[in-house]
Order: sequence, then structure tokens, then C-alpha cells
Amino acid sequence: MTELEREEWISVLNLVPDEALREVIDNFPADWIIKPKALPQAGLGLLKIRDSALGEPFFLGEFPLSTCWLSISTQDGQTAEGAALIMDDRIEQASQLAICDAVLSAKLPGWESVAQLVSLGAERKRIIDKERKAILARTRVDFSLLDDAGDDDA
Amino acid sequence: MLELASIWKPEVQQQNYRAILEAMSRPGRIQNITFSQSDSDAMTAILATLLDGEVSLSDPDKQINTDDWPMLQASNTEPDCADYIVCTGNSAPEFEPKQGTLSSPEYSATLLIQVESLTSGSSRIRLQGPGIETSEEVSVSGLSEDWLTRREDWVYAFPLGVDMILVAQDKILALPRTTRLEVI
Repeated sequence: MTELEREEWISVLNLVPDEALREVIDNFPADWIIKPKALPQAGLGLLKIRDSALGEPFFLGEFPLSTCWLSISTQDGQTAEGAALIMDDRIEQASQLAICDAVLSAKLPGWESVAQLVSLGAERKRIIDKERKAILARTRVDFSLLDDAGDDDA
Repeated sequence: MLELASIWKPEVQQQNYRAILEAMSRPGRIQNITFSQSDSDAMTAILATLLDGEVSLSDPDKQINTDDWPMLQASNTEPDCADYIVCTGNSAPEFEPKQGTLSSPEYSATLLIQVESLTSGSSRIRLQGPGIETSEEVSVSGLSEDWLTRREDWVYAFPLGVDMILVAQDKILALPRTTRLEVI
């Protein structure tokens, strides 16, 4: 299936090219009944954190957010639920990811192609993480050099 | 691929919001609610139009389908503290809805009452007040007279009060707190 935990599926699937995701979704049987469990929505989320000095809460900023929770019923009586919450303003994208989540979790017909997408997304995530680590390493400040130099004003 | 009933779509909700607005501003005039008979009803269509995650809803008579609760997003609460209350008209109310405060009369309850018919029935009611040129008369069936008696208690201290929307099939009739009712 996939070695990743279910909670990681959406984040890696979100890194897959839109066309690849669309192609997999289009190949699912058209007679599946897919209904929302909650109203699919897109909007802005507010990130609230506390400042380190006084501990007062403040809003750091806002970000796009889409959510979808749905159920799939197949013609042979199988049912599955899936959900997605992504930092994106496209409900369509969230619903596609939620469908993939449901298919993979219940191993509905076509789950193998979703598992392949998860592997593809995981590989892309590894590359992105590696690039970010390299960038972070280049910006690291080595304070030990200051210690070696000593404090001239002391 | 995702099948969303029409009542959850913005274009239908806009039509229904317009109908509710018209009903509230012209008490006594019956308005039609848009929904698909195959997968919904007028009450759910009204709830879908009016509710979101910021308001509370009470359903003492268990009128709302369990699957619709997550779609409505409203929090489920007791009738005495709910922003919206769904009930059936043929049984007398056994709660005291919010009537707002003098500084914030809008923090009152809106009652959505399911009745049998708004076009025929033994109860004939005369309506007078803002939004009505002289008077309007309607025939309602499936509405216990206790509702009208209790309403008098709830709305006598204007601007405090409650607003009511009677629902039957695909029709609604609004009874804002400013409307005076007389059973004839």
C-alpha cells in the first residue's frame, strides 16, 4: 500500500502535479455516489500565536484554506469516507484529495494508482525538504567564532 | 464528481434568501422556496440559507436529518438559548426562546415552524403592522393556537421578541415581531 501514515497522505498528494491527480480521479468509476459529509468550503484561515514577551495572542497573518469531507458509495455496496484540509483556495483540489484519501483508506477499486501518487508526492517532498535544509544550512550563523575572538570591551 | 444538492449551492441560496427577505418585509404574503423535491425539503433549504458556523440551532422535535447537521455547521443547543429553533406547529411550544436585550434585540431567536398548509385550513389569521398596507388574511392548518398565544407573550415588549417563519411544502409565511395577529 504505502509506508506513509494516513495523516501524511494529503500533504504529499498536494505536491503531485494537478494533471496526474485529475487523471487518476477521472479513471474512477462514474457510477460511484460521492456526497459531501460537510459543506466543502474555501476561505482564509487566521494564524493566531502568542508573542514571546508578554504572552499576548496576536494574528500573524492569514492564509488560503480549503476543506472537504465526503463519503463514497460504490455500486457493490462498499462505502468509505475521506477528508482534506489544505492551504489552497481551490475547493476542487480539496475534494479531489478527499476522494483519494477515501479510496486509499478503504482500498476501493483504483487504490493502487492513488498509492502511486502518494509515492510520487513523497519523493517530491523529500526533494523539497532536502533543498530547504540546504538553504537553511547556508543561512546558519556560527556564534562560536565570536567566542574565539573574545570581547574587546571587557 | 461530488454531488451537492442544489440547496447548498450559492445561486439557490441567494434565491431563497431573497424569498425570506421578501416574506419578512411583507408579512402575510406567501413566498416560494426553491429546492429539489428528490433530495431535500423547504425547511432544510431555509436552514441552509440562513445558518453557518457562527450561530446555534435547536431541534426539539427532531425535524432535521442527522446527515444535515454537519452540512449546516451550526452548533446544536437547547431551545432556550438557540439562535434558530425548528419545531412542528401542531404541538404547543414547551420552551422560552431568546428575546434579545434592549441594547441588542437582534440576539433573539428565529422560530421555523413546520405546518401542514399555508393556503387552506381552519385557522384564519388577520395580520397588521409594518409592511402591510391595511391588513392581510391567511389560512393556516397544522398550527396549534398555543403558538399564537405564546407569541403574544414573547413579542409584547418590543423591540424584544421573536421572529417566526411558518413553512409548508415549498411555501413560507413570515411573522416578524412587529406584526399584530388576530384569529378570526
